[in-house]
Amino acid sequence: MSIMSYNGGDVIAMMGKNCVAIACDRRFGIQAQTVSTDFDKIFEMGPKLFVGLPGLATDTQTVAQRLKFRLNLYTLRENRAMKPKTFMSVVSNLLYEKRFGPYFIEPVVAGLDPKTNEPFICSLDLIGCPMVTDDFVVSGTASEQMYGMCESLWQPDLGPDDLFETISQALMNAVDRDATSGWGAKVYVIEADKVTIKTLKARMD
Amino acid sequence: MRTNNMTPEWMDSEVSTGTSIMAVEFDGGVVVGADSRTTTGSYIANRVTDKLTKVADYIYCCRSGSAADTQAVSDIVSYHLDFLQSETQEPPLVRTAAHLFKGMCYQYRDQLSAGIICAGWDKKDGGQVYSIPIGGMCVQQPFAIGGSGSTYIYGYVDSVFKTGMTQEECMKFVTNSLALAMMRDGSSGGVIRLAIITQKGVERKVIVGSDIPRFYEG
Repeated sequence: MSIMSYNGGDVIAMMGKNCVAIACDRRFGIQAQTVSTDFDKIFEMGPKLFVGLPGLATDTQTVAQRLKFRLNLYTLRENRAMKPKTFMSVVSNLLYEKRFGPYFIEPVVAGLDPKTNEPFICSLDLIGCPMVTDDFVVSGTASEQMYGMCESLWQPDLGPDDLFETISQALMNAVDRDATSGWGAKVYVIEADKVTIKTLKARMD
Repeated sequence: MRTNNMTPEWMDSEVSTGTSIMAVEFDGGVVVGADSRTTTGSYIANRVTDKLTKVADYIYCCRSGSAADTQAVSDIVSYHLDFLQSETQEPPLVRTAAHLFKGMCYQYRDQLSAGIICAGWDKKDGGQVYSIPIGGMCVQQPFAIGGSGSTYIYGYVDSVFKTGMTQEECMKFVTNSLALAMMRDGSSGGVIRLAIITQKGVERKVIVGSDIPRFYEG
């Protein structure tokens, strides 16, 4: 039994034309048993900055709180919003501090630069190694399934509506092939002027 | 313990029909039902599995546990029943099928991982349901539930069941129970497969998608 698959859960982020999308499933389970279906793994860290924290559920909650703490202090000191790339380094630092007793989380960051609105996505492993891509990132118990879906469905320069459809189909069909993921899905589409949050009607098994 | 981290966890896991299975007796026959999920570890290898296996014209079994073990055992029982039918020139009794299952599951209890519900109709005793859980005991019951998902619905079935239900009431009972189990158990899911076995024969039904009943989803 792997610690990373004890609770189950997945996050995908995708790059679009002047927008990004990030999506997660909503299951909270203990091994095979589903306990609740409203456990979101994506947290707002800024008006256009979101982080997804799939993995062990207790660490999802703790890391979200500790990240918000560090981000708040930065915002107070610097008097400006944090860039997504900087936030990636904050996450990396927080995780590497626990190098020999890590948080069991493999985060995904998605956002737009506060000034230029340039889109940004990245993922990190549980000890903080960052990976920046220009197409998509996936993390969670159905990661192999998500990679397959993303490689087939993603194309560059998708608009917000097409990006929403693409990321939704990629996530839904991937988690339908994983026994410890699913039970609902939430999608955030982040554009320069607005953030759209949609809850998907998904299989509840 | 995982010694090899290069391949995904499901490559080293046995194929299991995690499962929710159920059978209910009514006057004139039985209703048997199952979910359709087969897993290797947490990967869903088949999401439309048929776990309701025919062992004789009027006798079906619901399989849970190791997919390989239950397929092998039901193939052998099916062969024995067919042979018996040739010898006696009569359709086999449900209790005969159940006891054949029991014989194999008990004798090889240390090597097998199989939980089976054997149900059907015969001329002598009408509709019957036999439960053969892991370990190889055999017991007849008015209704039986099995598989990993069944643990979540013991309270529900005990509160809803009543004797003297009609065929339609039994179908609704099985459908609702399996829907609840599939919702809570990660190893169960997909579609609900039903088989209604009466003197007239076997009627197969599949309940998919939005036709599956939905309850509290908090």
